[in-house]
Amino acid sequence: MKISGVGVICSRGLGVAAFEQALKSGWRKPGETEAHWLAPLDRLSKSSNPADSTNSGDSMSGLTGLGGEKAPAYLVTFDALPDKTLLKKIRRADAVSKMAVLAASDALVNSGMENIAAKRLGIIVATALGPHVTTFDFLDDILDHGDAAVSPTTFSNSVHNAAASYIAMSLNIKGPTLTISQFRFSFQEALRLAQVWLDQGRCDYVLAGAVDQYGDVLGYVADHKLTTAKDGRIKPFTFNPTCQVPGEGSVFFLLGNTSEGNVYCSVSEVHANDDPGQGKSVDINIIDADGMLPDESAYLAALSNDIPTAAYSPLFGSMMIGGAFNAAAGALMLKQQTRYATPVQDNPRGIRMLTESGSGGIGSIRCIGFDCYAEKSVIYLTKA
Amino acid sequence: MLITGIGVISAAGNNVVETLSSFEQGTRNAGPVTLFPTILKAPAFEVRQLPAEYYLEGWRTVSLALIAVDEAMKDARLSDLSGFRVGVCMGTTVASQLNALQFYKAYRETGAAPMTSVDRFLKGNLAEYIARRVHARGPRLSVVNACSSSTDAIGVALSWLKGGLCDIAIAGGSDELNHVPYCGFNSLGIANPGLCAPFDRDRKGLNLGEGAGVMVIETRATARKRGVVSPLFLSGYGTSSDAYHLTAPSPDGVGLKAALRAALAEAGISPGEVGFVNAHGTGTHDNDLVEGKALADIFGPELIMLSTKGFTGHTLGAAGGIEAVFTAAGLRAGWIPASAGFQNQDEAIPISPVRERTAVCGQYAVSTSLAFGGTNAAIVIGREEDA
Repeated sequence: MKISGVGVICSRGLGVAAFEQALKSGWRKPGETEAHWLAPLDRLSKSSNPADSTNSGDSMSGLTGLGGEKAPAYLVTFDALPDKTLLKKIRRADAVSKMAVLAASDALVNSGMENIAAKRLGIIVATALGPHVTTFDFLDDILDHGDAAVSPTTFSNSVHNAAASYIAMSLNIKGPTLTISQFRFSFQEALRLAQVWLDQGRCDYVLAGAVDQYGDVLGYVADHKLTTAKDGRIKPFTFNPTCQVPGEGSVFFLLGNTSEGNVYCSVSEVHANDDPGQGKSVDINIIDADGMLPDESAYLAALSNDIPTAAYSPLFGSMMIGGAFNAAAGALMLKQQTRYATPVQDNPRGIRMLTESGSGGIGSIRCIGFDCYAEKSVIYLTKA
Repeated sequence: MLITGIGVISAAGNNVVETLSSFEQGTRNAGPVTLFPTILKAPAFEVRQLPAEYYLEGWRTVSLALIAVDEAMKDARLSDLSGFRVGVCMGTTVASQLNALQFYKAYRETGAAPMTSVDRFLKGNLAEYIARRVHARGPRLSVVNACSSSTDAIGVALSWLKGGLCDIAIAGGSDELNHVPYCGFNSLGIANPGLCAPFDRDRKGLNLGEGAGVMVIETRATARKRGVVSPLFLSGYGTSSDAYHLTAPSPDGVGLKAALRAALAEAGISPGEVGFVNAHGTGTHDNDLVEGKALADIFGPELIMLSTKGFTGHTLGAAGGIEAVFTAAGLRAGWIPASAGFQNQDEAIPISPVRERTAVCGQYAVSTSLAFGGTNAAIVIGREEDA
């Protein structure tokens, strides 16, 4: 299965060029967002004007007067996008759907294939948390207005497959359209299913990708259960203790069994919950470590001193779908034949880290992820 | 692929036998909502007697799923999974969302809230939970395609088995009756103040329900190796997107027809070989109109069809799994029940569901699902001719 187009949106912007620029230029301190959970209790108050909210990722639309408590987060900014044509088409969509549509559309454009939407195209959207911010908006409705006076539009957008539906409508895709949700390996399972769909002729191409969104409640939960890096620096190679900084965004890949389009690389194997190719030699490992597990020591057993290892989560933030961004980085490296240095290089365990950018000689990359049960997922990418 | 086990729980019964008894008697176990406080009056199809041994505090969707999984695995004589690659693919809507009103209320009022609901949510991903419980080591997917979730989950399982990703698949779906979608469907103006009447001229909307439906599906080689025989098999899956509207089906039904054609093509059969269709049939004006026309276009006006939502309500992400089990049970038993709630033919719909218990012949049956977001899914279930 070939990757014939990539679309990305994250805090560093929309498009492969922006993502590549982030890989080249390295870590940049993330922005900050209001952190309601850090506010002293006596300063929490309900505003009479829900329009007072300033944070697009804030489901608690009526909360104000919090006195500027902030937390770092890698957030997407739609305002900075130069072309808002697509956003206007989906103006009723929530942020998670908008990110997914932008990334999916970008992957089609990036493929360079003409009239691709007219081909038999399928969609697989992987998400860990779906439109949770809209879900909490709907809970606001119930709590503020009662069971009988809630918004049907908010409810419709809170359904997990809304993003896939907006992709289908925006891009006029009428093939198989599936949304899947798992907390750690949903993107890897999406790739496996895409391969099966292609092999069985259910479609000619699959737009498979992942999306997740930051929201205030997620920030609270992550801060409560994990350690937040107050300086915004995720250190993927510390393994234990770990620190996270929430991120959000979306990545989509145009996948097919032919070599048409803007081919990046082949996806040669995908495994979730195991790795039968554990001892296999590759040129680079990319690990999903991002502080989303309190202990990421499981990665240590998967790495060796023979293979340089990179981790790019400090560029886009901690996300349960972070593996999709790392796969995009891997695909880009194979296509450009360029190594991108690990952006945050704190390395107390002395892992053989990819420390410098450079060019040439990349034949294969293994993307590695672990879940909280120390189960492993791997994506093997090879030069096309 | 053989269907070697089926399991189901809904307001119509806690297992397949109880359900068929409700079908025979025409029992409709709907009533006022008791699971949460609400000022809304729309009746719902609740599971009234959840077996105590399956009760899990705050995990009703998981509890329902486990009941159906256990029945299906017992039916399939599947207890020891060692030596087999077993995949788990489950559809849901509720289990994928942190619909925790009390947690959220506490958080927004105080800036803090206990993590109990969050922990349940994080540990309650349906496919992952079931896979761990039964020690399945194959692929796992929770499908969240709204109302077609578990039809799609069964279709994904078929793809996995054909693609060699697993030897056996546990597939279906589960959803509890939950306060949040109950309010949501009311806000959409499609909740029926009385009992639903799918495909009826005077239909006034849907009733929500809850339950789970699960199948054990396996390759013939695996079944042979396990010494298991079954007359039932899963032979086709089709899915498509309307690319039309977030909540309304495309009026021309083109997406549903595409899904049906794909499912029939994969099964290698013609529409005339289908003995009956268990339709999505929610009882809403738009769904039943579009679906009825599409089914008539594909299968002709003499099609034998029904909707079982008159017995279960609309169980959302579980509906496809429950109805797939009903379809398999109907094929196996050789009869289908009256389409509960249907009385008067709608002149705008060229077909009508059966009004009484009906003997079915033919080797194949189809189950359909239409969902929010414009996804359509159909599966074809078969019965061996000499069974």
